Amino acid sequence: MIPIETHDLTKYYGSLCAVDHLNLQVGNEIFGLLGPNGSGKTTTVLMLTTLLRPTEGSALVCGHDVAREAQEVRRSISYVPQDMAVDIKLTGRENVTLFAKLYGISRRDETIDRVLAMMDLSSRADDLVRTYSGGMRRRLELAQALVHEPKVLFLDEPTIGLDVAARRKIWEHILTLKSRGMTIFVTTHYMDEADHSCDRVAILDHGRVVAVDSPSRLKGRIAKDIISARISGNYPETLPEGVDFLGERDDEVVLFSSDNGSEKVPVLFRWLEDQGATVHSLSVREPTLDDVFLALVGSREEGSGFDDHKFRTMLRRRS
Amino acid sequence: MRDILSYFERDMLRWVRGRLAVISALIMPAAWLIFVGLALPTTFTDNYIDFITPGILVLTMLGASLQGGSLLIFDKILGFLNKFLALPSSRESILYGKILFITTRGLLQSTVILLLALLLGASFLSPFSVVLTYGILALFGILLSAFSTTVALYLSDHDSYAAFNAMVSMPLFFTSSALMPYAVMPSWLAALAYWNPVSYAIDAIRALQYGVLAWGRIGALVFLAIIVVGISIVQFRKVTL
Repeated sequence: MIPIETHDLTKYYGSLCAVDHLNLQVGNEIFGLLGPNGSGKTTTVLMLTTLLRPTEGSALVCGHDVAREAQEVRRSISYVPQDMAVDIKLTGRENVTLFAKLYGISRRDETIDRVLAMMDLSSRADDLVRTYSGGMRRRLELAQALVHEPKVLFLDEPTIGLDVAARRKIWEHILTLKSRGMTIFVTTHYMDEADHSCDRVAILDHGRVVAVDSPSRLKGRIAKDIISARISGNYPETLPEGVDFLGERDDEVVLFSSDNGSEKVPVLFRWLEDQGATVHSLSVREPTLDDVFLALVGSREEGSGFDDHKFRTMLRRRS
Repeated sequence: MRDILSYFERDMLRWVRGRLAVISALIMPAAWLIFVGLALPTTFTDNYIDFITPGILVLTMLGASLQGGSLLIFDKILGFLNKFLALPSSRESILYGKILFITTRGLLQSTVILLLALLLGASFLSPFSVVLTYGILALFGILLSAFSTTVALYLSDHDSYAAFNAMVSMPLFFTSSALMPYAVMPSWLAALAYWNPVSYAIDAIRALQYGVLAWGRIGALVFLAIIVVGISIVQFRKVTL
């Protein structure tokens, strides 16, 4: 059975289209939904977890329709929203016990001990959550979500607001859960995390999926190499053969793509200088999901698609 | 039933561990008892503390119930409600859990006020009338906590809930029969007070002081409670974000 499939899943808030005819098939994997803030990630998760009714289209989770068989869907999933909702006046164990009771778990104490141990919280289980760090609170939420052994786990921005070490630990746990056969549907706007840990990602822009694939294949779609440049002065209208414009990042670094970056660097340098631009730096690196995102969606702030015309006006403005 | 008790237990633990909140809710009704009950020069009765005690007991319940709505507001703002709504357990058990907790908390607070009233010289007819008083207070608590929790479901932040609370609680109290009998009220107020649900509870308890069961008032309270809880259940069942 396919863990998650959506057919033209759509949500309107009034006249605003938050999710636009989404068609996804998620297998037994870690599936990442990527996109800038406001791209429709959370709305999608809310529909898949039965908390929001789709305006159009349908979605099946573990074979059950999210609108018509909400109860069956809720039995087979767990949902961890991004807010970090754990009771700080309760102990870690009490927080988990609440969920174990609400899920009607038999052999409760055993299960609670097991999920707390799984999330490395056993030694602090009887302390008030008030004394927990952000990473521990997030792990406690995962422990709550695991008491009934869900088939699909929905995580909305699981690492938001955490430090680097805590983030890494959360992802280690997510990978462990996947190895135990759980399907994990995760939203994030941290591209590097998705790059390392997701089997497949979907890139969402204005409620529409612009690409679905494994991170490595998505990166392969743009080019082998990325040349990042700091340039001022006149921009050329055209580029040397074998070099393509990718986009300009928010910090005014201009990115070019090429299948042979290190050889193209001197060519590009001469070309730019000949056209009257001043080159401050050029460097070659491997593409990241951020670059894929920039190529597909354009600036993350604007969230608008790349268009050739705009690029040319931008170049002219600079000269 | 187990779900309701789980939600109840969660709220109870959080309340008991927040020490300040346990005390602060009692200040207002205690102040009414002492500063108004003992001090107000009244002409219609020699024993004003006896007269005002039912009113203050119901005020305690009213305050506790309306305050209780903010529990759901916080559950909503902080993301707990989302987690609860995604659980397979029935959604109205969230509502029942809140009603049970808010009403229980109100009854505990009323007990402190009742003891204080007895200390200040109020008298109750019999232990039986005290039991019935608790029954009426519980009924009133169920009505008001269902109302406030459902209102909270539709308000988006704590400020607007606080505004709702301020708008409802004092007018309900002052237009009730808590402070004076209908006979000494101006006629417009008497009419208003007679139809105020807060008066249903106060009048029913006051009648107990004379050993009378005011079936009309109790019946009205039951009727209202059934309607309000019914509406609340429907709202909780169909809630989406």
